[in-house]
Amino acid sequence: MTRTMSPPRSAGTKAPRPTDTLRSEWTKLRSLRSTPVTLAVIAVMVVGLSGLITLAVVTNHRRGAQVVTDPVGILQSAWFLGLLAYMVLGVLVMTSEYSSGLIGPTLLATPKRMRVLTAKATAFAVTALVTGEVVSFVNFFVSHAIASGYASFPDPSLGDHNVLRAVIGMGIDGGLAGLMGLALGALLRNTAWGITTGVAITFVLPLIFNFLPSSWSNPLLEYWPTQAGSQLEEVNRQAHALTAWWGTGDLTLFVILLLAAAGYLLVKRDA
Amino acid sequence: MIRVSNLTKRFGPQLAVDDLSFEVQPGVVTGFLGPNGAGKTTTMRLILGLAGPDGGMATINGVHYRDLRTPMREVGALLDAKSYHPGRKARDHLLALAQAGRIPSRRVGEVLDLVGLGDVAGRKAGTFSLGMAQRLGIAATLLGDPPILIFDEPVNGLDPEGIVWARTLMQSLASQGRTVFVSSHLMSEMALTASRVIVIGKGHLIADSTVDALIKGSSATVVRLRTPMPEAVIPRFEAAGASVQTDDDGALVVSGLEPSAIGDIAFYAHVPVHELSLVEASLEEAFMELTRDDVEYHAHGGATALQPPGQYGSLPPQASWPSGPAVR
Ligand SMILES: Nc1ncnc2c1ncn2[C@@H]1O[C@H](COP(=O)(O)OP(=O)(O)O)[C@@H](O)[C@H]1O
Ligand SMILES: [Mg+2]
Repeated sequence: MTRTMSPPRSAGTKAPRPTDTLRSEWTKLRSLRSTPVTLAVIAVMVVGLSGLITLAVVTNHRRGAQVVTDPVGILQSAWFLGLLAYMVLGVLVMTSEYSSGLIGPTLLATPKRMRVLTAKATAFAVTALVTGEVVSFVNFFVSHAIASGYASFPDPSLGDHNVLRAVIGMGIDGGLAGLMGLALGALLRNTAWGITTGVAITFVLPLIFNFLPSSWSNPLLEYWPTQAGSQLEEVNRQAHALTAWWGTGDLTLFVILLLAAAGYLLVKRDA
Repeated sequence: MIRVSNLTKRFGPQLAVDDLSFEVQPGVVTGFLGPNGAGKTTTMRLILGLAGPDGGMATINGVHYRDLRTPMREVGALLDAKSYHPGRKARDHLLALAQAGRIPSRRVGEVLDLVGLGDVAGRKAGTFSLGMAQRLGIAATLLGDPPILIFDEPVNGLDPEGIVWARTLMQSLASQGRTVFVSSHLMSEMALTASRVIVIGKGHLIADSTVDALIKGSSATVVRLRTPMPEAVIPRFEAAGASVQTDDDGALVVSGLEPSAIGDIAFYAHVPVHELSLVEASLEEAFMELTRDDVEYHAHGGATALQPPGQYGSLPPQASWPSGPAVR
């Protein structure tokens, strides 16, 4: 049975490059059916729920129920589900390696551990960013079509001030949420803890901050990474909030620090 | 060549690997033996750079695993059979590993055929039996056609046919000049597969020799004696240098004396003898005897201990191994 094998040799072969690790991680991503299925579910949920909420708001608005200050936010009101899903997927990209034991063969193939983390982060961030942009734009156009039947609703168009930036920004935040999840997954090596921590950072803690005295909550919420990052999704600048780009920088820096900590521990700890 | 020098690994207060040194040479299957918990897996993980040592070092062809230029072409290692994502097809699992090692993707089909999984290449690995999982794991180690192979308990979960297959594969890999390092907690398995063995217990080296020498060196004489008057002979046996245990059904198990000497002692003490039989140490016992002192968890209150005074020193009477001797 081993007749087909050539005698031992090791010289003269080419050393693997970082791009080889990247190809490997891309293969891992695309070869799991759960990846495209999850992404499709995200898309349907975000677009569908945003459409429904838009429909509800524009019908109410016709009856003069409320003044709309943030029309883009209404058209894409289910986007938080997308952020949540990308974060969970990011956690899973790392923790599934640990729960399945695949981390062993992965690190045997690529003992340079930073290379593994970089390749994983790159493959997943690109996937999250590209699909996030697609979902965000589809969401915008679908909700836009629903709202355009109601003349009294201040229906935004992509040409309006900061609207395009907000729609693109949601995709960017999807990529960053995914990277944050991936870093948390690498740090905690446990799916439940990774998701819990991610949800706490993104949704629960900012909610709790709201109950603090405003002398505390205002600066906290202003600089809190996920709050600051979400300013990119706003058409109008909020009170006590960073500008869209400073806010995105804040979130990006936070994600980079998390990834650096994850890389440090990945190299330092036993696999 | 694999070289381990003064390797030490601590988990909290526990020494999992204790100042361990040995070398593994090419061209033969080298067994790595020890009871469960002896530190075999930990040692292999240290060799492969998956864990870091607290002292000493392990090198492959003189360098640390992480410094190998083409790791998968230099070493193939299988630690845990089920280390794959259950939702991924066998072929895709191997493809991802091959790509990371810069190995041409046609090699995936080759190794799948080699281990007999060619027909199930498109099936999700999660549907595989443990035996198929072992084969998939072995396929992954062969991707880079490496001259050094490391397997941790590779026959665990294999059916008899699979065991023979794995044994033959390892031996043919070694006969091609490769270094093959295989762990097991079963001496009998190693006796059939390996020609050299490194035996460890509680993390430290117990023996490093050929299988033949190991079996010869540990065949201490053990005799079972049944008598209605055990108290009358036990002191005499002990005075003659033997150690004596009473087994479950009241028979004495005497080690360190020839059957003829035991019969004579009983005769001169006027003690009736109802049974006198030679208990031959099997391979398994040779190994148990070697590692008795180093078994991490003793099963107390079960079977009776044998206490052969081997060349590896005297053994404490409370030490026991959870299985009886083979009586012939
Ligand atoms: N990650 C770990 N954390 C704590 N203890 C460990 C760890 N890995 C192994 N051990 C302990 O180290 C000892 C050696 O284990 P192991 O190398 O798995 O032995 P073997 O493979 O020979 O059965 C055991 O007592 C085990 O409980
Ligand atoms: Mg083990």
